Amino acid sequence: MSKQEILQKAQAGDPDSIEEICSATWEPVYRYIYARVQNRQEAEDITQETYVKALSWTKKKRIHPKVWLSFLKRVALNIVRDRWRQNQRRGVNTCIDDINPEQSAVSDETDEYALRELIETALDNISKEQRTVIELRILQGYSVKDTAKVMKLKEGTVRVMQYRALHNLAEILNHYNLFRGE
Amino acid sequence: MINTEKKISDYIDKLNDGQKPAEHDHSINTPEMEKLMDTVRLIRRMKEPDLPDAGYSKRLAKNVANQLQGKRVGEPNNKIKRMWFTGAGSVAALLLIAVLLNFLVPILGRTNIVYAMEQAYEDISAYHGILEVVEVNGEGKERLQAVREVWANKEGHYFIRELEGTSKGVITVNNGEKKWQIRPDEKQTILFAAFPDPYCFTFELGSEVNEVMNASETEVIGDEVIAERAATILEVTPQGGEAYRIWIDKKTGLPLQRQTTMHNALQYRLTYKEIEFVNAIPAEVMSYQLPEGYAEIDNNPEQIVNDVHEVQMLVGFVPLVPYEIPESYVQDKIAVSTGNVSKITFKTKDLKNTVIVLQGKADGVFEPATNAVLGKIGQNTAEILSPAGDSTGILSGGSYAGMAGISTIRWQKDGYEYAVVGNVSIEELVQFVGGITDDEVVLPQTVSNSAWMPQAQVAVDMEIEENEQKSIDAGHIPWKLDPVFVAHVFANVQACPEGIQGDYPIPYESLKAIYNDGTQAIVEVSGETPVMRVYLEKLVRQDNTGIWTVTGYDPKPASDE
Repeated sequence: MSKQEILQKAQAGDPDSIEEICSATWEPVYRYIYARVQNRQEAEDITQETYVKALSWTKKKRIHPKVWLSFLKRVALNIVRDRWRQNQRRGVNTCIDDINPEQSAVSDETDEYALRELIETALDNISKEQRTVIELRILQGYSVKDTAKVMKLKEGTVRVMQYRALHNLAEILNHYNLFRGE
Repeated sequence: MINTEKKISDYIDKLNDGQKPAEHDHSINTPEMEKLMDTVRLIRRMKEPDLPDAGYSKRLAKNVANQLQGKRVGEPNNKIKRMWFTGAGSVAALLLIAVLLNFLVPILGRTNIVYAMEQAYEDISAYHGILEVVEVNGEGKERLQAVREVWANKEGHYFIRELEGTSKGVITVNNGEKKWQIRPDEKQTILFAAFPDPYCFTFELGSEVNEVMNASETEVIGDEVIAERAATILEVTPQGGEAYRIWIDKKTGLPLQRQTTMHNALQYRLTYKEIEFVNAIPAEVMSYQLPEGYAEIDNNPEQIVNDVHEVQMLVGFVPLVPYEIPESYVQDKIAVSTGNVSKITFKTKDLKNTVIVLQGKADGVFEPATNAVLGKIGQNTAEILSPAGDSTGILSGGSYAGMAGISTIRWQKDGYEYAVVGNVSIEELVQFVGGITDDEVVLPQTVSNSAWMPQAQVAVDMEIEENEQKSIDAGHIPWKLDPVFVAHVFANVQACPEGIQGDYPIPYESLKAIYNDGTQAIVEVSGETPVMRVYLEKLVRQDNTGIWTVTGYDPKPASDE
């Protein structure tokens, strides 16, 4: 069965075809969403919503299997943005019907790599102690209590240092224009 | 500001725990808070995402299919649940918070310590330690079993010298090129193949870290000082297995001691009494030298050759060389081993992964192992085993059988038999298969609903199944890992419900696996039998250590009996 046939059967609700499509593409889609929401619970929710919306959309319009993955990412990005907008009560929802699947390429690994470089540079520009707090708390997932133990500080001091570090990082990252509402 | 400090800290904790923070659902955040949250999420992009469990893809497909079948398209079920929850009011919310406070605290601890251990292992290159093995009986009496000096690195190379115990003086080394064991009592040095290596010394740190990361549950249960080092005690429950404990060094973040579950009134405690982390294993302990007066016994006779034409001179055919291999690999060596089998070895540049492509002349009809997953390469059946099992043909001899982490794909075509073996995933092996054949490689897909329709259901008691899984883990009833064998016993019990006396009335040869995707299998029974098909599933654990359970069957129609 060709990819196009699988896609068509999936649109018609065929469970085996849906499973085949999900199995082949869920990970890059999930990773793409996770990068933006940074928690598994929400990433799983949005991934599900993405497939439902994307497959519903393709009932109305034809999509080439070659652009299927980038189309999924575009749908996912719109859902994420809509959620942010709804939460902030500003702007209007993106209409999925407006998406042109042939022009759905979204930021790829190269962008992600460049982003990481900028974040690394930002981390280099805060004090050593502030960087350690950020590394322990955010990158290594330590609790405030464990971070305080490792750094031999009081828990309150860790929170203050963490707040200041994030403030400084936000200033630097804002300078790089990295807050794009994603 | 104090409030923001606390809020952003709680936000970080929530994300660290994989939970959706409440702030993502409400519009009550100040612009400052929004910017700080954005910053936290941006920084978290530096780390690998928390991926869902192995069953996620199937669950996702099922949920999507359900929603597409006209059930509130575009509004996931869990969203509906959350709306109900909000409506149910704050009492329910408070109750939930109370419950979560009880349960989440240990989970938070678990996530952090396991993650920290994984990171700590990432940061080391090699280690040198003194490992003590102690046997403890049901009365708590201890007996020193062994003390060994260990050098090991992350490429799987090691040097083990037995300092105390029954094997005192024995040295076992694998330097990646070859493996040897020096036995002073026998004045012998035995040579083995460096890969695959069935002996991974007990309490190897990489395996320990992997096991903890893949456990179904981990819980911090206390602190203790071990070998003069402060350690956190972690109770680890493998999926479908029995809990054991490890002590994690608070300073290094790495395992220091492991205590097995008590089995038959015996348990084992393994402790690194000393351990240091080094850049590399010293070259002098990894170089092969036959001690004076020792005999050399080669258990791995294979002749290294320069190219495939030299192979042809030795075995009479030019072996196929993969014309395309994954980028991270390079060809390591070409050899001819016993049975005139060509053996081309590929290794990743970091030397961590090895894949061997074997080719020999086909000898008889292709018979896949009964516990193999069956795929197709072109029109030919492919035997897929992960871990490697009791294959016949080109993989016979059992040199790969049962090795954790080793997978194999074997098939025949045009008078030749091929196998691809490696300490990598089946998907990676398939890339090598694709390099030597243009035939399509088809891995088994989940059985379709129309094929999985047992006419009779078999009631399953999960408690019994879980206990049987534990028996398997302890080394008993290994036949439960073979779906054909399980189906064989089931069919015979159906044939003789009053009890089997003497030989089984339905011979094992009458059964054939017609479908096996590793988690579901269908076995067909021929000849004089009341059962035509047996349907089996791995209910307790879905990997290769999981037992098979009969969940349904097709009885033979009355007119056929």
